[in-house]
Amino acid sequence: MAGSQLKRLKASLREQGIIGPQQSKKQKRKQAEDLKGRNDKRLQRSAVLENIREQFNPFQFKTNARGPKFDVTTNKPASSGLAIKGRPGLSKAMGEQQRRETLLVEMERRNKVGGIIDRRFGEDDPNMTPEEKALQRFTLEKQRLHKKRSMFDLEDDDDAGVALTHFGKKLDLDGEPIVDDFDEDDLPSGDEDDSETERKRLKRQRWESVAEEAEERDNEEPERKKTKKEVMEEVIAKSKLHKYERQAAKEEDEELRAELDKDLSDVRNLLFSRWKPGQEDKNPNEKPLIPGLEKSALEKEYDVRLRQMIQDQRAKPAMRTKTEEEIAEKAAEKLKELEEKRLKRMRGEEVSDDEESDEDETKSKKKKKGKLADADHRMDDEEDDEFGLGAGIKKLRPTAAELGFDDEDDFEIDDDLVAGSDAELEFDSDDDMSSIASDDGALEGGDDDNDDDDFAKYLAEVDQKEQKDRISREADNMPTEKDSDGVPYTFSCPESFGELERTLRMIPESKYPTVVQRIRALYHPKLAASNKEKMANFSRALVKYIGYMSRGEPNYAVVETLIRHVHSLAKTYPIEIANEFREMLKEVSIGEDKTAPFNLDSGHLVLLTAVGTIFPTSDHFHQVVTPAMLVISRYLGQGVPTSLSHYATGAYLAILALQFQQLSKRYVPELINFCLDTMCALAPEKISSNPAFFHMLEPPAGCRIRKCQNKAPRRLNYKDTKGYTGPTGKTDPDIQKLSILNTTLSILKAAAETWSGKAAFTETFSPALPVISHLLSPSCRPHLPATLIASLTQTSSYLAHALKAAHLARRNLELHHHKPLAIKTAVPKFEDSFDPDKHYDPDRERAELAKLRAEHKREKKGAMRELRKDARFLARENLQRKKIVDEAYEKKYKRLVAEIQSTEGKASNDYDREREARRRSNKRRG
Amino acid sequence: MAPKAELSRAKRKHKGGEEPVKKRSRSESSDDNDSGSQSDSDVGDRHAKIVQLEKEVLESRKHYNNITTLISLAQGRDSEDDEVAVVAAVSLCRVFIRLLAAGSLTKKKGASEKEDTVVRWLRERLSEYRKVLTAMLREEQAALAATTLSMRLLKAEAQYLNGTGEYSFPGASFSEFVTGLMRPEVDDSVRAEFVEKFVDEYDDIRYYAFRTLREILSESSAAAMGEETVLNIFDFLTSIEGVPDASEELDFYIDPPTKKTHPLRTLSQHKKQAQEAWMALMRLGLNKPQKKKVLEIMATSIAPWFTKPELLMDFLTDCYNEGGSVSLLALSGVFFLIQERNLDYPLFYSKLYSLLDADLLHSKHRSRFFRLLDTFLASSHLPAVLVASFVKRLARLALNAPPSAIVAIVPWMYNVLKKHPLCTFMIHRVPRTPEEKAQIEAEGLADPFLPDETDPMETRAIESCLWEIVQLQSHYHPNVATIAKIISEQFTKQVYNLEDFLDHSYQSLIEAEMHKEVKKPPVVEFMIPKRIFTSAEPGSDEKNSLLVDLWDFSPQS
Repeated sequence: MAGSQLKRLKASLREQGIIGPQQSKKQKRKQAEDLKGRNDKRLQRSAVLENIREQFNPFQFKTNARGPKFDVTTNKPASSGLAIKGRPGLSKAMGEQQRRETLLVEMERRNKVGGIIDRRFGEDDPNMTPEEKALQRFTLEKQRLHKKRSMFDLEDDDDAGVALTHFGKKLDLDGEPIVDDFDEDDLPSGDEDDSETERKRLKRQRWESVAEEAEERDNEEPERKKTKKEVMEEVIAKSKLHKYERQAAKEEDEELRAELDKDLSDVRNLLFSRWKPGQEDKNPNEKPLIPGLEKSALEKEYDVRLRQMIQDQRAKPAMRTKTEEEIAEKAAEKLKELEEKRLKRMRGEEVSDDEESDEDETKSKKKKKGKLADADHRMDDEEDDEFGLGAGIKKLRPTAAELGFDDEDDFEIDDDLVAGSDAELEFDSDDDMSSIASDDGALEGGDDDNDDDDFAKYLAEVDQKEQKDRISREADNMPTEKDSDGVPYTFSCPESFGELERTLRMIPESKYPTVVQRIRALYHPKLAASNKEKMANFSRALVKYIGYMSRGEPNYAVVETLIRHVHSLAKTYPIEIANEFREMLKEVSIGEDKTAPFNLDSGHLVLLTAVGTIFPTSDHFHQVVTPAMLVISRYLGQGVPTSLSHYATGAYLAILALQFQQLSKRYVPELINFCLDTMCALAPEKISSNPAFFHMLEPPAGCRIRKCQNKAPRRLNYKDTKGYTGPTGKTDPDIQKLSILNTTLSILKAAAETWSGKAAFTETFSPALPVISHLLSPSCRPHLPATLIASLTQTSSYLAHALKAAHLARRNLELHHHKPLAIKTAVPKFEDSFDPDKHYDPDRERAELAKLRAEHKREKKGAMRELRKDARFLARENLQRKKIVDEAYEKKYKRLVAEIQSTEGKASNDYDREREARRRSNKRRG
Repeated sequence: MAPKAELSRAKRKHKGGEEPVKKRSRSESSDDNDSGSQSDSDVGDRHAKIVQLEKEVLESRKHYNNITTLISLAQGRDSEDDEVAVVAAVSLCRVFIRLLAAGSLTKKKGASEKEDTVVRWLRERLSEYRKVLTAMLREEQAALAATTLSMRLLKAEAQYLNGTGEYSFPGASFSEFVTGLMRPEVDDSVRAEFVEKFVDEYDDIRYYAFRTLREILSESSAAAMGEETVLNIFDFLTSIEGVPDASEELDFYIDPPTKKTHPLRTLSQHKKQAQEAWMALMRLGLNKPQKKKVLEIMATSIAPWFTKPELLMDFLTDCYNEGGSVSLLALSGVFFLIQERNLDYPLFYSKLYSLLDADLLHSKHRSRFFRLLDTFLASSHLPAVLVASFVKRLARLALNAPPSAIVAIVPWMYNVLKKHPLCTFMIHRVPRTPEEKAQIEAEGLADPFLPDETDPMETRAIESCLWEIVQLQSHYHPNVATIAKIISEQFTKQVYNLEDFLDHSYQSLIEAEMHKEVKKPPVVEFMIPKRIFTSAEPGSDEKNSLLVDLWDFSPQS
């Protein structure tokens, strides 16, 4: 574009058609006629003009005067002409406007108190017609009232607050005069309308009656003021009455509707029958019958059919019956997988979660398949060797024979069995509450037997199987004749320790397993939804009960069965049972009582044993086993011996600790320490000096073995752990001492076997040799019986042998055959797509800080700029105001001056005139 | 002085009433004996009377005899009421302070013989009163009041007694008071109160307290004083804290002497008194628990007092040589002296090595010892042979140690090995020649380490290997095992912060496990064992578990 600004303006005006060559008269007339488009055209014209004005204002836009500085550096398209970067005029105007709205108002209001703000809706809005305003106001009013309605407003229909007026008179929407024709009572248009008008009518009546009442009362006793209570009572009574009325009205409506509905089906029948004449032939008798009754029967039938169809089993492809080899292979694979997982856990590697869940799945599958697998368990003995386990493991781990055939799992009820007796079972569990309530021995209730015939049969089956298993070792544990047991068939599910204790109180100890088994069968989680929780609670209670009963003198066969039950339950409720065990450990270790960790009773010991069997002790870390191991080793390591029972308990725990480590062969320092300490403490004579670095404690008095040549050691039992009974008790302390010593020797030997491959075997076990030789020395030997001396020599020789083997096997440590470490590189790192605007700070925190700092700076700048603008604005406004004031003052001043001058002038004129007059008169006189 | 007229009026007024008052008080005190208990109004009467007596004494010299009455009241021998005794003591205190202020107890030059007698008599009463106060210390309720009164009296005595205006501390009366305070009958709380309110507050009181204690300790033998008194003094000394920093900041209870060179105004003299008191105590020969206690607070409360810590040398070396936990505690003191005071402790490292005995890792001072050990072996200039001995010895001990100790030992070893690369042969030693290798293959290997050698330079530990730590890599506790594994990993970490590993115990380990919630279902042993407590049938090929083999589960009759 060339030429001057003016030329360009003209050109653009012409271009837009705003100015053009002069139009002829004809054209003008034509245009004038085109009235419709005129208004439109004017608008368009003004828009175009505005556009042109903007275009020609050089200060309206902010641009890069010469375009981008280096075209090559940007990948934006080279802007056609000058790209607009900002509109300073516009933004300035906007800012000004905003300030005018906020700051100026504030400034004007400053130092002023009070004032009235016109909040009337739409008062200053010129765009609204008065009707619109009124409508808007009315809706607002309504909304406000609606929101304010209190929750406890008894009289919720009260709309006294809002009332429309017309010419100052109240407009009553409910009033008779303006009821529309179609709303008349005798012609109810619909249910809703019906009830609505009914209600309105009732309300009207109510109002009238209330008014009447009030009038009456006013007439009767106008002066007496009611107390608040009375008013309230009245209000409540009234509202109740209204409520009742409303209800009654509603019922009436309902009845009416029901009647109508009845007729409707009739009508429909008629309609349908016309369209489907075929149906008439099929059910000729149906039509004339009363449709209401017939329909319900029909529906019922339909429902039944539908349900049957849903329940109809689709034909499924049956599993191919597997051959025995296949099953065996499957079992072996399963075992292998389990073992691999165990080894992984032992090494402390992560067993992934999906594997875990997979395991669970297979586990549950396994349970179903268990019955099948049992036939082939002989095969698995061969398979076992594949796992690379030593002979020692085999004898401790149950062989595959038991895989999936654990007797406790046997009575995990098969699905079909449950399905068959589902109804009865449910009935039974409902029934048992009452039967238990009426009679503890529910057996007497003959109906019980009749009711769940099937279930009883099932139980009998299970029991017999159980019995077969045990009959060899427990001659008469589970008599076939159940009635003679006195054990009821049904129990309410004990969900706490107290309840379980109450349930089992009446039952002989040997029958506990039967009871537990029956409870588990009765409340199998598959039988009812709530059973899952019940069983979870039951299993917690059972764990507690095992601890409780072990504190007495239990039959360990029974305890064992109960533990196995817990184990089986733990597969379903691992968290609950683990928590219960942890609870026990917590109670022992983290309590107020500082001696609790060293006062373990037989209940704790049995529970610790149970921990060892239920949970895999070989895991690198286990939520239950690790703390249990700590509790054990704390006792062994820190317990201060006070009596013989301490040593006995320690011996038990040492055995336990060793058994825990049978698979993983982890080292327990406290165990060796304890064994050697015990041997030194029990030795007839005090050992002269600590032969090695183990921690020796001062033994309690009367602990040493003296003159026991003629007594024989026995195996220790739980009684030995329960305090010192003294010579009057059944346990002879001397024999107890000998037994402890003997057991300790065995533990030492077992420990040597377990840790035979350890790197520091020599250092670990060589201190035992001088201790044993001390016991065999002439000062001690005469006090010990021959059997013990024999076992001492045997242990000694065994240890010597093992130490020799360890000596031969020992090699220097070569731990650091690592790949040499790379030297840190100092080569700078290059970014492929480097962006100078981006920060490449490797330190994340520093980068974030820098970002934050930059933002802060930017914000601060912005805020300062805004503040300056505000100040400028205020100054301008002030100046303006001052100017106005000054101007007014000036004006006033001038006016006053002018006034004075004019008066003065007038006065001088008067004077002059007077003087003139006088002079004249003087002249005249003179 | 009050106007004469008034005074005489007062005199006249009291002349008549004097005798009866006295009499009544006496008779009443004898009444108390009979009745044993009395009503509140009676108590009020007595209080009023005491006030009356006090007023009279102050009004005229003629009533000085009231002092005797008051003293007998304060003694409380004849009255069982403590309150009365206290009130009497308080009023006596007021009386004496006024008299002291008035100069009635100072001998004036050129005074008549009669006046001298009065002064002497008053001084006797004063000392009698002091005795009463000292006796009051033994009674629980009155003791605190007695302490305050004694101190106030002390102040007055110091200010006025010698009458010359020069500084003088009534040492005799103060030492009498302190001696009384140290008696076994006096409650601990009284001493604590005294320390808190006076000794810790005012430096001159502390100064003289130290001096008095030293005198008590050195004059009489410990046996004559009794065990409990020594114990009390010991507790008293330990409770004194707050060594002053500069001579300018000293606070005085009694106006200090103006002379700058006065011992009371120099810091070193203060310290010297404390030092001498402590030395006197230590010279008495402490028993083992006392020694332990002294050693425990040595660094914080005792050593700062000593201007010459060398004086502690004998005590510390004695303790260090004693062995056991006492030497563990003495170690830090000895180390301080070696480091700062150039103490030459021959065979320090041998001694240190001998401390590594079987009980060390089970001791409750374990972490304290480790902190020190870390310092002692921090120098990279120590011979590797010596360092190796320590490492090997601790490894041996770790075989029987609780997990909390192992957790501390292993990172320490890592640090040491990192600092003394020569020692890394203990974890990585490849046979140099094929012959050597063949020999090891054939004959096995004996540990060249000599555990019974006391000289750490001669143990041949550096030729040995840390098999023990390797064994602990399979410790039953997962965390311990993991920590033990760091010595077979690559040594990439510069150093382990030992503080993170020091303060553990069984309790803390169990708590750490127990405070975690069980969220993930724990793994349950898949196979349910057939037998737990019962033994296998004789015929079957099952094997009994260890538990069943060694324990008798058959029903006991």
